[in-house]
Amino acid sequence: MNLRVRANPRAAAGGLRRQLRKRRTQVLLFVGILGPGLITSVADNDAGGIFTYAQAGAKYGYNMLWLLVLTTLALLVVQEFNARLGVVTGKGLADLIRERFGLRITVLGMLLLLVANIATVVAEFAGIALAGEAFGITRYITVPLAAVVVWYVVLRGSYAVVEKVFLAFGLVYLTYIASGLIVHPDWGVVLSQSVHPTVTLDSGYLLLSVALVGTTITPWMQFYLQASVVDKGLREEELNYERADVIIGSLFTDTVSFFIIVATAATLFAHGHHNVTDAKDAAQALVPFAGQFAKALFVAGLAGASLLAASVLPLSTSYAITEALGWERGVGLSIREAPAFFTIYTALILVGTGAILFPGIPLAAVAFLSQDVNGLVLPAVLVYMFILINDRRLMGRHRNGVFANVVGGVTIGAIILLVLMLLASSLPGFPWV
Amino acid sequence: MIFLSDFLRAEILDQRQQYVGRVGELVAQLIEPFPVVRQVVLRGGKKAFPWSEVRSFENRELVLKVTKEELALGEPEADGVWLARDILDKQIVDTDGRRVVRVNDLQLSSMSGSLIVVGVDIGGRGLLRRLGLEGTGKAIAHGFRREWAQKLIAWDAVDPVASNLESVKLRISHQKLAKMHPADIADVVERLAAPERLAIFASLDEETAAETLEEMSPEDQAEILERLDDERAADILEEMGPDEAADLLADLPEERVEALLDKMRQADADEVEELLNYEEDTAGGLMTTEYVTVTSDMTAAEAIDRLRELEPEAEQVYYVYAVDHRENLLGVLSLRDLIVSQPGKLVGDIMIDKVVHVALDTPARDVAEVMRKYNLLAVPVTDLDGHLEGMVTVDDVMDTVLEGAGRRRMARIFG
Repeated sequence: MNLRVRANPRAAAGGLRRQLRKRRTQVLLFVGILGPGLITSVADNDAGGIFTYAQAGAKYGYNMLWLLVLTTLALLVVQEFNARLGVVTGKGLADLIRERFGLRITVLGMLLLLVANIATVVAEFAGIALAGEAFGITRYITVPLAAVVVWYVVLRGSYAVVEKVFLAFGLVYLTYIASGLIVHPDWGVVLSQSVHPTVTLDSGYLLLSVALVGTTITPWMQFYLQASVVDKGLREEELNYERADVIIGSLFTDTVSFFIIVATAATLFAHGHHNVTDAKDAAQALVPFAGQFAKALFVAGLAGASLLAASVLPLSTSYAITEALGWERGVGLSIREAPAFFTIYTALILVGTGAILFPGIPLAAVAFLSQDVNGLVLPAVLVYMFILINDRRLMGRHRNGVFANVVGGVTIGAIILLVLMLLASSLPGFPWV
Repeated sequence: MIFLSDFLRAEILDQRQQYVGRVGELVAQLIEPFPVVRQVVLRGGKKAFPWSEVRSFENRELVLKVTKEELALGEPEADGVWLARDILDKQIVDTDGRRVVRVNDLQLSSMSGSLIVVGVDIGGRGLLRRLGLEGTGKAIAHGFRREWAQKLIAWDAVDPVASNLESVKLRISHQKLAKMHPADIADVVERLAAPERLAIFASLDEETAAETLEEMSPEDQAEILERLDDERAADILEEMGPDEAADLLADLPEERVEALLDKMRQADADEVEELLNYEEDTAGGLMTTEYVTVTSDMTAAEAIDRLRELEPEAEQVYYVYAVDHRENLLGVLSLRDLIVSQPGKLVGDIMIDKVVHVALDTPARDVAEVMRKYNLLAVPVTDLDGHLEGMVTVDDVMDTVLEGAGRRRMARIFG
């Protein structure tokens, strides 16, 4: 006599729940405290971000802190949109764009996102290379190693492992706060500069301002954050909880940014070392003023940040594109089941490492390209989000009210204006350059 | 083959070839087996005319039977489905393929004067057609000497997913979905967004809903149950196996558990409550309380009758346990033993009286080891006094052992 064993492999997962339940409590504990908002924010302070903040501190001292404060507010507004869209619709941003705006716009958007993210992934691997070289390890070891780790851990590792890795990355960021404290800044000046906008009207200042906003609010993070919010499966009643999560996340990420600026301002700027060529250079320049330890902390932060962003970006890109085009996706599927998903994921990592290891590809140009393409995509993404969040059919009673629209409109308008300035500045013949 | 994308933005000409406007939408009525196009909406979405005014559609030109002046333009029907807005680019369930797919295009067909939706294009050709690149794709495929097949699903094998709970016109019965195997429904439902999951659960009967829920991951189970109202949730829990129901409830907040237990039938609630007391990773946490017992003084024929009577409830009937009147475990018989025995033979004479059993607090791994060693499909669970408390079946234990099986869902968090 045959036992009735359900043929579906899913049946096997049925009783796994006892194991899972335990793990779930752990996940909830982790996600409950830190959450998607925090992981997104942590990944947001990537190699490009660290470089930009270090540059801001070295070149203009505490002067740009006020802009960072405003950018944080903008980040909060935009991320609240993501949280609300995700919780209410239960769908990712790419899904919603496809369903609301149709195929053409989606394909165009996804192509741009792909290009922007490729450029950003290259920048992340550049960050890894620089972090290694700061300690005298050649990029021909660090970058391939990082690529293998990223590919393997995310695709083939278990969730529990990845979760702990992410948490560890989060802790690495605290090193920047430590660096900021070690250098003993003048807190009176720091505070006054944070609340009193002082604009210098030279082209360098303007461009760096734009870069600072652009590196803090990026297109990919909108997709990633919303997807993680959806994944958490929150109910509408729990929306405020998710709002708290993105607020904490944004504040955390910008606190870290704040301390990077403070650290470099108190040392590099104060001692007349105004030009930072890359993040490694910034770390090295810290040594005479703050010692080897500050440098080590700074580099550790850079390595962690780049590695985390290098894991999150390819994954978020593959999810967004396959989601939008309705292709099979998921880390747990086999390569044959979800070929497009794995192709995009692997290709991004290969291009990222290839660009760094191939001699003759100018990294500086890649960084600029990454900034410009991200700048090009960001306004479109923000406008889509603005339309979606005002859609009555989609959002019901959670659509934007007048207040949210004014705040959101001003924020998005300001970001778009800045981004247009950045794009204009990369055109030949731009008056300020 | 004609597709919805051919119609969208196509020119509308009247009887005398005069320009009337462009097609913005086709409005259809969701009729079984195929939706019928009722109206053509002009671009802008405000004005519409009935499909019956259309004489022909060729080369992306829609020609009317009447003149521009005679054409009666009215409001779009309120209860119709807008094919581009409501179906195109949305997710649908392919009930044959048992998966969720996205609608790239809709295949239409003209049948005795009416236009009906016959298929859903889910392939790359549909994607490129929408982008105006189908010809290019075809040329490339031709260059490789390949046939480039259309990926179409017949309309009668799809179940649209209501993307909007508020819109009455898209409230769908999900009859086709309900006919699928619960494990497949679970597969499909797990791929949908929360509002859509709820819409589907609302349409399933309690038994199907319970079986579907049993097939889902603990996270998803809890998520769905949290969103259902108490009444409906309690009804579904009653239909589930008590061990499954207990596992699910263990994931919910305390107050909700009590509310749900209150609403459940007393007998079901008692069983579930009892199971809730045991540690998750022990025999007590794994076991079901639905099993078949007979007394040793019954005849084989009587035992088989009892089995018939209990079968619908019990999870596994291959083993029948013999107990005394105080529920002390005396022996075990297999179904095979019962059937091949003389009808008049006593259970006490057929049964094996040295029964392999586990205690309530035996760890799950040890339970699995016992079952592996003795080649059992189920093992009885007894308390310290030897009272039969429940039974752990092989599929419950297998799940604990096969840890890797859950990775697929857990990894989604990055998406």
